[in-house]
Amino acid sequence: MLHTLATTVPSLRAAMGFLSFNVPALIVSLISLVIGLLMVMVFGYTSDQKAIHIAKEHLKAHLLALRLFQDQIPVVMRSYGRILLATGRYLRLAFKPLLFVILPLTILVVQLDRYLGSIPLEPGQPFLVKARVANPELLNEASLQLPSGLATTSPAVHVPATNEVAWRVVAEKDGDYEVNVQASDQTLVKRVVVASGLARLSPVRLRGQFWERMLVSGEPALPENSPIQAIEVQYSSRNIAFAGLEWNWIWLFFVLSMVAGFLFKSVLGIEI
Amino acid sequence: MHPGCSLGYSPVAFRCPYILFVFLQDDGYYFRQGLPRIESLKKLTWILCILPLFAVVGLLPSCERARGEWRGGQRLVILGIDGMDPQLLEQFMREGKMPNFAKLAAEGDFRRLTTSIPPQSPVAWSNLITGMNAGGHGIFDFIHRDPKTLELYFSTSRVEGPKHAVHLGSWVIPLGGGSAEQLRRGKAFWQVLDQHGVPNTIFRIPANFPPAPAKGRTLSGMGTPDLRGTYGTFSFYTDDATAAPGAVEGGQVIPVQVENSRVVANLIGPDNTFRKGSPAATEPFEVAVDPLEPAAKIAVQGQEFILREGEWSDWVRVEFQLIPFFGNVRGMCRFYLKQTHPRFQLYVSPINIDPADPALPISTPSSYSRLLSDEAGEFYTQGIAEDTKALSDGVLDDKEYLEQARTVLAEHRRIFDAEFPKFTQGVFFFYFSSLDLNSHMLWRLTDPKHPGYDATLAAQNGSALEDFYQQMDQVLGEVLPKLDDHTTLLVLSDHGFGPYYRSFNLNTWLLNNGYIKLKADANPDSSEPLANVDWSQTRAYGLGLNGLYINQRGREPNGIVEPGATADILEREIRDKLLAVKDPKTGLPVITHVDLASEAYQGPYARSGPDMLVGYNRGYRAGWKTILGAFPPEELEDNTNAWSGDHCIDYRLVPGVLLSNRKIAAEAPALTDIAPTILAEFGIAKEKGMIGQSVFKSGRTPH
Repeated sequence: MLHTLATTVPSLRAAMGFLSFNVPALIVSLISLVIGLLMVMVFGYTSDQKAIHIAKEHLKAHLLALRLFQDQIPVVMRSYGRILLATGRYLRLAFKPLLFVILPLTILVVQLDRYLGSIPLEPGQPFLVKARVANPELLNEASLQLPSGLATTSPAVHVPATNEVAWRVVAEKDGDYEVNVQASDQTLVKRVVVASGLARLSPVRLRGQFWERMLVSGEPALPENSPIQAIEVQYSSRNIAFAGLEWNWIWLFFVLSMVAGFLFKSVLGIEI
Repeated sequence: MHPGCSLGYSPVAFRCPYILFVFLQDDGYYFRQGLPRIESLKKLTWILCILPLFAVVGLLPSCERARGEWRGGQRLVILGIDGMDPQLLEQFMREGKMPNFAKLAAEGDFRRLTTSIPPQSPVAWSNLITGMNAGGHGIFDFIHRDPKTLELYFSTSRVEGPKHAVHLGSWVIPLGGGSAEQLRRGKAFWQVLDQHGVPNTIFRIPANFPPAPAKGRTLSGMGTPDLRGTYGTFSFYTDDATAAPGAVEGGQVIPVQVENSRVVANLIGPDNTFRKGSPAATEPFEVAVDPLEPAAKIAVQGQEFILREGEWSDWVRVEFQLIPFFGNVRGMCRFYLKQTHPRFQLYVSPINIDPADPALPISTPSSYSRLLSDEAGEFYTQGIAEDTKALSDGVLDDKEYLEQARTVLAEHRRIFDAEFPKFTQGVFFFYFSSLDLNSHMLWRLTDPKHPGYDATLAAQNGSALEDFYQQMDQVLGEVLPKLDDHTTLLVLSDHGFGPYYRSFNLNTWLLNNGYIKLKADANPDSSEPLANVDWSQTRAYGLGLNGLYINQRGREPNGIVEPGATADILEREIRDKLLAVKDPKTGLPVITHVDLASEAYQGPYARSGPDMLVGYNRGYRAGWKTILGAFPPEELEDNTNAWSGDHCIDYRLVPGVLLSNRKIAAEAPALTDIAPTILAEFGIAKEKGMIGQSVFKSGRTPH
């Protein structure tokens, strides 16, 4: 019924089309709302609310003094100094709750970025699979083996300057594929996702590089003795249409969670 | 998506965060500790109510204002096919190669459509757009000259930087913005339709850059520049030492070195007017050439792709930085890897304005180009999309050029397929450039008499022009089933076509016949426009494809010919002599008709253009150099350029076509009849200055 209506009523068709395309925006909005609420609550529980209140009241008082006694230079100068001090005190008080939220927030952002940071590949869309080998001698040894449903559409390009081999690959249909890169009798696997919706994506599989792996890769590390240092799949980064602008999801999340936080802090009576 | 809706910029959505911010300030500044529970709940409810509203405003597509108030059921579809030639069309219809056109001609009507004077696209389409001739709309040629300075400029538009600026070291701080000005005068037919609330979509009509203010949806066409402000400047990167580096016509050859299988070079962007001397903004790119295989990986601004030899890339978006972290301008280009070994050869298309984020106005509403890009993918925005210059310069060969030209048509058809099904009322105009540009470039493959004819090349690609005609037939095949009693169809072209065998160098002829004098010891073959002319003894000069000007006192800076009777006598003298010119090689007259502006044009700009319009015989045209005011040694020479077909000749020899699903009453319809016809279809009286009439007898009586 809704589908029939949507095909005949242009505005409904537009709305349905929009919703199917803008699921990421809805997800980011919902997550931002929840995180905004949680952050305010954590802030409320972990901060010294009374001290923050006093610090802000001091700030207001000094700001008021600036306005009231603007013709008295010594008072103005003293107020500026006290504003600086009160600001420092306020930041110190806000730092403690920040310590509680920063780690879980970082983990959350890293994990969400696997889903929202990039777009899965589409059938028929050419993409690059790149392997970086440990030394130039291995460059000509590296080969790519593809599962059914994926095919190369160009010869491999060997780049001696960066010890890299790149292949152009195209998928026939949606699927969660594993491509094998072979070098020095070792076969290493890399996941490739071809899908139309949201999917957990890992653009690179790395050898070593713990921190980079934690932040960027979503796959197990390559073996330490592997002749391959990295296998990369080129996913396009995702932009989310919101309020007439194209956003990186992290910026959108940052803005919306701030807005939600400011709304909820007054509801919950929490001093920020 | 609804035609009136887009995901584009929404003023409401833009203002919303500000409204919310005001609300937050009001609440947050006066902190209250421990709100009463009931008040807290009320507030929460209120917040939960406005949050979805905020989300809806932000998320849902912004609906533009309702378009038009017209509620009639009449529909008019116009397919504007630049350069469709009646003779070729008749031939292909006879041969059964264009069944849809044959059906339309048989069941509806088919006439030759009198073209403009001169029969050049910007002039012809301006005639169609305004219902006036060049005297009314002021477009006389592709190229105009400033009578005060004799400097040349593109006739249809002018893009200028800010007039005033402050210089700080190597930086230039503009005081005010630049401007893009359309030079066509007169009201466009869709602007009149707008006034009467008739919805309209006008796709890529020439001579409409920047797009005239309109309520309907328009996309600019021929005349739209690339990001560098030219009609299209390609780049060709090569390590071939025999290729002369520097500017070539329509492009630039850039020498590069292949080191360790890598090439590092710069894409050339727009002039950076924020820097002293306005150097071109550049962005680096890198090509990794496989040491053995004919393939390369290209990396541009974080985008990477592999091309095999002989392969085109998709559109690649590029951002040129004008002011670090502040002023960027976006464009897009396509790469073609011509060769990797033994010589590296890479062609990069002109940097087109990105329709998703246009640096210059190319559509109305401004979001329309982005909507098209979202719906049908990226597309060439530069007015003349087919890279004819790269073929003429030998940078692309026939096969490579054809692939590029087919891509252009495929893009247009993709947009047509996206837009036409949405057309429900009013006027739908869609422009196709392919027949014009490809007739220019491929005529030599179809005509053994052409000096550039090559039997081998003809065997390979001789049917290409016919293929393009057949694609137009396929487009018509999509339209015909959608016609009903309330829908009128017009299929028209602005002019026909003919061969371009021989060039006539008008300025050389004027020089040889004493109308132009050069300064003593001057080099007549200088490439500077009208360089070394002794204006104190020069009575007439040629500029543009058909234009001939009298060096008139009071108008030209050093004019010597008195306006009035003296000028009239001189014009008639030159006309008689030109009509008597015979080609010694063929014995044919080179010029068959010369119009005097005073007789050919009506309107306020009738005397602003050339004084005389030279109409060449079929097979002849103004030479390439004479167009820009140069003096090649020979008056007549063979045209061996790939640009081998043309229409800038005697207008009577290259009429366009007019087909309709209704009977055409006019015996000799002209381009200037089209605007009045469109208006009459909706019961709208023609505008003051329009010189034509509706081509249909049964058109409603204008009120």
